[in-house]
Amino acid sequence: MTFRQARYDEPPIWELSRPAELTTGAVPEIPGIPQRFRRARAVEWPELSELEVVRHYTRLSQMNFGIDTNAYPLGSCTMKYNPKVSEQLARRDGAAALHPYQPVETVQGALEILWRLENALGKITGLPEISLQPAAGAHGEYAALLMIRAYFRDRGELEKRTEVLLPDTAHGTNPASAQMAGFTTREIPSVNGCVDLAALRAALSEKTAAFMLTNPNTAGLFESEITELAEAVHGAGAMLYYDGANLNAILGVTNPGRMGFDVAHLNLHKTFATPHGGGGPGAGVLAATETLGPYLPVPRVVKRGRSYRLDYERPHSIGKIKTGYGNFGLDLRAYVFLLAHGEEGLRHISRRSVLNANYLAKKLGKFLPRPFRELVKHEFLLSGAPLKAKGVRTLDLAKRLLDEGYHAPTIYFPSLVDEALMIEFPETESRRELDGFAAAFERAVTDTPENLHAAPTATSVRRVDEVLAARELRLSRKDLAPLSKSS
Amino acid sequence: MPRWIPDDPATESALLAEAGLAESDQLFSDIPRKVRLGRMGVGPAHDELDLVRTVDKILSRNRPYTGFATFLGGRIAPRFVPAAVDAILLRSEFYTSYTPYQPEASQGMLQALFEFQSLWVELSGMDVANASLYDGATAAGEAMLLARRIHEGKRFLVPASLPWEEKSVLANYAMGTGVRIDEIRFDPKTGRLDLEHLKAEVARGDVFGVLADVPNGFGHVDEGLLDMKSLIGAVPYVVVADPLALSVLSPPGDWGADVVVGEGQGFGASPSFGGPLLGLFACRRDHLRFSPGRIVGATKDAEGRPAFTLTLQTREQHIRRSRATSNICTNQSLLALAFVVYASTVGPRGLADLERSLSERARTLANALSGIDGLRAPRFDAPYLHEFTLEVTRGTATGFLDRLRRRKVLGGHPLADPRTPAASPGNELVLTAATEFVGDKEIAKYAKAARTALAHVPGAA
Repeated sequence: MTFRQARYDEPPIWELSRPAELTTGAVPEIPGIPQRFRRARAVEWPELSELEVVRHYTRLSQMNFGIDTNAYPLGSCTMKYNPKVSEQLARRDGAAALHPYQPVETVQGALEILWRLENALGKITGLPEISLQPAAGAHGEYAALLMIRAYFRDRGELEKRTEVLLPDTAHGTNPASAQMAGFTTREIPSVNGCVDLAALRAALSEKTAAFMLTNPNTAGLFESEITELAEAVHGAGAMLYYDGANLNAILGVTNPGRMGFDVAHLNLHKTFATPHGGGGPGAGVLAATETLGPYLPVPRVVKRGRSYRLDYERPHSIGKIKTGYGNFGLDLRAYVFLLAHGEEGLRHISRRSVLNANYLAKKLGKFLPRPFRELVKHEFLLSGAPLKAKGVRTLDLAKRLLDEGYHAPTIYFPSLVDEALMIEFPETESRRELDGFAAAFERAVTDTPENLHAAPTATSVRRVDEVLAARELRLSRKDLAPLSKSS
Repeated sequence: MPRWIPDDPATESALLAEAGLAESDQLFSDIPRKVRLGRMGVGPAHDELDLVRTVDKILSRNRPYTGFATFLGGRIAPRFVPAAVDAILLRSEFYTSYTPYQPEASQGMLQALFEFQSLWVELSGMDVANASLYDGATAAGEAMLLARRIHEGKRFLVPASLPWEEKSVLANYAMGTGVRIDEIRFDPKTGRLDLEHLKAEVARGDVFGVLADVPNGFGHVDEGLLDMKSLIGAVPYVVVADPLALSVLSPPGDWGADVVVGEGQGFGASPSFGGPLLGLFACRRDHLRFSPGRIVGATKDAEGRPAFTLTLQTREQHIRRSRATSNICTNQSLLALAFVVYASTVGPRGLADLERSLSERARTLANALSGIDGLRAPRFDAPYLHEFTLEVTRGTATGFLDRLRRRKVLGGHPLADPRTPAASPGNELVLTAATEFVGDKEIAKYAKAARTALAHVPGAA
């Protein structure tokens, strides 16, 4: 594929109006508002026609990769097709024009969507108690750890249970969330890409509040000793936490409940195809056993007869973790995705995403070494270490892949693999796309060091100087003046 | 089901064979039998027409606020969104893109986020802004954590009038750090913060931050906020501010705020039953390295052309792990895009005119309700913009709102915490807001419905 991204010299939006138009006149007076509380001068922002605004942002959009234009083999991010029908349905008045404080009698349909989605997610996760309140995966992690905190507080064990254990392959959000929730963290080493069970057993104690695990893990491997891991954690009186980032690989095959997890978060923006939006919004899910269920955020959606209501009378609940009931617009999209697939479709998702990974791993394994065992789940790792001999880093390879029209894989993660590349092609990518990527990868990995260092050349800008960005912080229009003058 | 998974079974078999596997069950041979599932019981697949019908049927059980005379507000605003905004949000290069980890391929979103940061810097009067947080309440929580990093102490002060949801979210952000949140009283006549109480609390010397909001939890504008920094001195000052209000009000940066957060949904996004929302966050430059979230910076590319990239990532979870300033990974980029596209479409004059016009309607509404027996409207004397609080003095707030609803009026929302439903007399407060969807006709309808609703209630105790 020949790939060329649009390359406009599109200035920042404030440069589209003449300076005189930026600051305009007096701010309207509002009766009762004291003079000294009034804005002295109008907000400095351009006055533009609608076409000027639309053209500006349309041009910017053309300088951006999206799933609809380019495939994203981003490991652990599950960048699958975002169905158009979901965008249409989420924009219906019956979904968008609902205020969260409307009386429940007027939002029965919205509560029904939430209830049905919760119900299905309970079956999918094997954990019966569900809340859709988290705005994102990390938000769910944080809330779940607060629930665990509240649970041990109620049992009088919080004083001693101060530590959260996690494998060295854990997502960065895991230790960050644990720290925010007031726990110290400790890493458990991996052996051949999986948790070292003996090391975990040795680390577990009456100080352990929880062990956080992703399964399959970020090396793309299923933790086959999961039952033994769960028994060890529970034997120490601790909770087993499931990071659901990689749920796509196991839909309908196994689930966190069956594996012995006590609480889980899911990312609807991964497994259930809600759009990533350039970084967000996401939508998180909390799923818990009956033991931890009472600690879930309020309100809970309950059904009586044919009607639904919001239940706030949950004395053990941790309370609210955000305004409203979660990212409803995305919950609706996830429900659409679920309805479309049904039981068999969900199984097809895990089967196909694992198939894609194994097929591609076999092909790409010819070019770069694969750490750990052969059989992977929905994603796999390569090590770019051999390229170092010719002065090429994984970063260069990633940039070179952009020129082929593919987003770069996740790179330098997990850190236990030198020069790691983590590759995931979800179920919505075709054989043609997999083969296209394999061919592109071969061209990239065999290219000259000069070309690899010079990449990318087909994107709207060339290699971006991130060091300069961090050294001379220019973070808004206020800081930009020196740059604009020199340009 | 729709054709969202590509290729036919024969192609999948070929893939399997080339992967060196004889049958598809071998893909899962590493998953022990004892943890395998039978059926999940989630029901059959639907084709597209089928699922549209199914979902539309469920959604038809909703009664969108567009079918009522709507006076709902608070931090979440039902507001008209020009079609141009949604046209941009539907550019799939934006909405189907990932976090811009590869800046060369993501200049469009990065530049839009840089423009968004610039706009919030301008509105808030602060030095730097991040690229968004989940919502206004979680942004307040992150602001509290920032305050704790930059100032010694163990107590954080918030107005007693703060919306209960925000108090609850803050309590959860406090839970892990072991800090305490204490409330500052409000003057029962004006609804304004009791600055004497604030002064006394700060004087105890163990306060690491103070939060105040504009409009406050009652929807009113408290002039005392302008003087607070001089009362609290070096203690970090967190301001929760409504972006539309800031189009006519002096920016908090001018009155000493250290962090300015807010809910940004009203700029370009539908309320969507409470999510997705948009957390706004800005702070002083000194505090940048302690601040949460993604930040976009301007730089150059290898040819010296202007370019943008995520920066200061060494604060973030994927690098710093347990020592990160926050666990934020996914944020609300698309809503940040909506924010800046909306503001640019409406323009600064348009924003200020909108706030003026909504304020006028709110005053018209207050006048229309003020003479009604069984209501005190507004309940407080402080000035207000597009919203204010009324008190139901005969019967309960929920009963009053329920009777309005039957007359096709959504009259506002009760301020009481639904977790403690024991609605004591004197706590029957309702926040009511003017929106673009209400004119004189709807205001008259509200007044008429309120009269009827209260006429049937036995006299107040």
